[in-house]
Amino acid sequence: MLVIKLNLITLHNRLKLMSEKMFKKILLPVMGEYIDELAEHTLEMAQGKQIEVIGIYVIDTSVPFLTPSNVKKLMKEELSQRGDEILANLTSKFNTPSTYMINLKKVIVEGDPAEKIVEIAEKENVDIIVMGTGKSIIDKHLLGSVSEKVVHSTPCSIMLVKTVN
Amino acid sequence: MIELILLIGALIVSLIIVIKSADVFVDNLVEIGAALGISQIILGVTASAIGTSLPEFGSAMIASLSGSTDIGVGVVIGSNIWNIAGILGITATFAGVIKTESRDLKRDGLVTLGTGLILIFFMFFGDIGRIASVFMILLYLVYLWRLIKDQKKFDAEEKVKKEKLVEFDSEKEFESETKTSRMASIDKKKLALVCVGLGGLIVGCRILVYSGVELARIAGIPEMIMGLFTLAIGTSIPELVVTFSSAMKGLHELSLGTVLGSNTFNILIGIGIPALFMSIPVEPLSMSFDAPFMIFVTVLLIVLIKTGGNKLNRTGGLILMATYITYAVLRLYVLA
Repeated sequence: MLVIKLNLITLHNRLKLMSEKMFKKILLPVMGEYIDELAEHTLEMAQGKQIEVIGIYVIDTSVPFLTPSNVKKLMKEELSQRGDEILANLTSKFNTPSTYMINLKKVIVEGDPAEKIVEIAEKENVDIIVMGTGKSIIDKHLLGSVSEKVVHSTPCSIMLVKTVN
Repeated sequence: MIELILLIGALIVSLIIVIKSADVFVDNLVEIGAALGISQIILGVTASAIGTSLPEFGSAMIASLSGSTDIGVGVVIGSNIWNIAGILGITATFAGVIKTESRDLKRDGLVTLGTGLILIFFMFFGDIGRIASVFMILLYLVYLWRLIKDQKKFDAEEKVKKEKLVEFDSEKEFESETKTSRMASIDKKKLALVCVGLGGLIVGCRILVYSGVELARIAGIPEMIMGLFTLAIGTSIPELVVTFSSAMKGLHELSLGTVLGSNTFNILIGIGIPALFMSIPVEPLSMSFDAPFMIFVTVLLIVLIKTGGNKLNRTGGLILMATYITYAVLRLYVLA
């Protein structure tokens, strides 16, 4: 009984140590969905400590061959506008009296989502990436998954929040 | 055999020429329009509406003018069936869902359905002539005017929303681009590119129609079938790439809007303009089967979206794909 209790205390201390030592800078990629869940997990990781959160939205500029140029421009404009809205929504989540310790930095970049997330994580030297698992198994097989790609080349720890039942 | 390979090669190459030329033409025409001070809203709406449909229009026009009217009508009706049952079916199946606003479905869905019914109405009178042509072109202009009006309203709402956003988001670190319409001198290079695009479109469509007609002759199949399937699917490649990639990026309005807008354009302009120059004969089977089937898939799409809560889901996509396969089998093997 005493051994179990001691083990639990050790585990708790280790987690506390991890959060104190490691999670000073969190990268939070957002695509519009599950912002509440992602913000909630990020706040849990902060544990009331002063941390920097980099909210990133990637404008996916890849289009198939033979896509008309005016449609490419239209898509970029629409996605850029959506990025602004999503990051403003994220700001509202971290702009409350209970989230005073979060210092939010917003980034909008263009390119391949997985590549850009890894690139920013390296450049900003973040401690952890928090992102959603996103799609269902069928969607993952049909469309591929950004989180899976990031997992394979992440330069830091990654926390995957289960966002699909 | 060599002739067959050459014709298939010509068909593929001409399709790429047609699609790229249409792109160059529209893109540079928009730039010139902007330099002339035409509103960005008008240019944006028009370019989006006609951009992906120029290949169908070009091939229908060239086919009709060169005497292959069956191919022209086939391309239009075949594209419309493929756009809904094929493209939206594939997109919804792979992307999982295509969402829409009730207002957009009401406007674009009903206009698409209405234009299909108008086409059938004119088909009842036999050949599609000049009166029908003028009516269809005018109707398209009214539709375009409505689109521009809606876009202006939407832009005004977005502006208010953006101002609120900026007010709230005082620590904004990134800059947003502002669209401006300015009067500038017309760039000669752009003017030349418009001519190159138009030339490429005409030459490409001519080769496309020629190879289609010759392939139909060699294979011993009616020109109508060639138009309904090979050319219809080929010239709808821009719709396929735009619909699919925009749904994957979550730009659902663009995804569904591309298909419905293209179908309206195909009928009102794809048949309307050629009918201005010559009477378009109506093949009995296209009157009794193809055109009604086009109406059927449009109604099916609206019903699937409505029952799915303003969403076309994966099941709906599979139903549409199955519908297209059924149509192709019936048209190619049962009714041929």
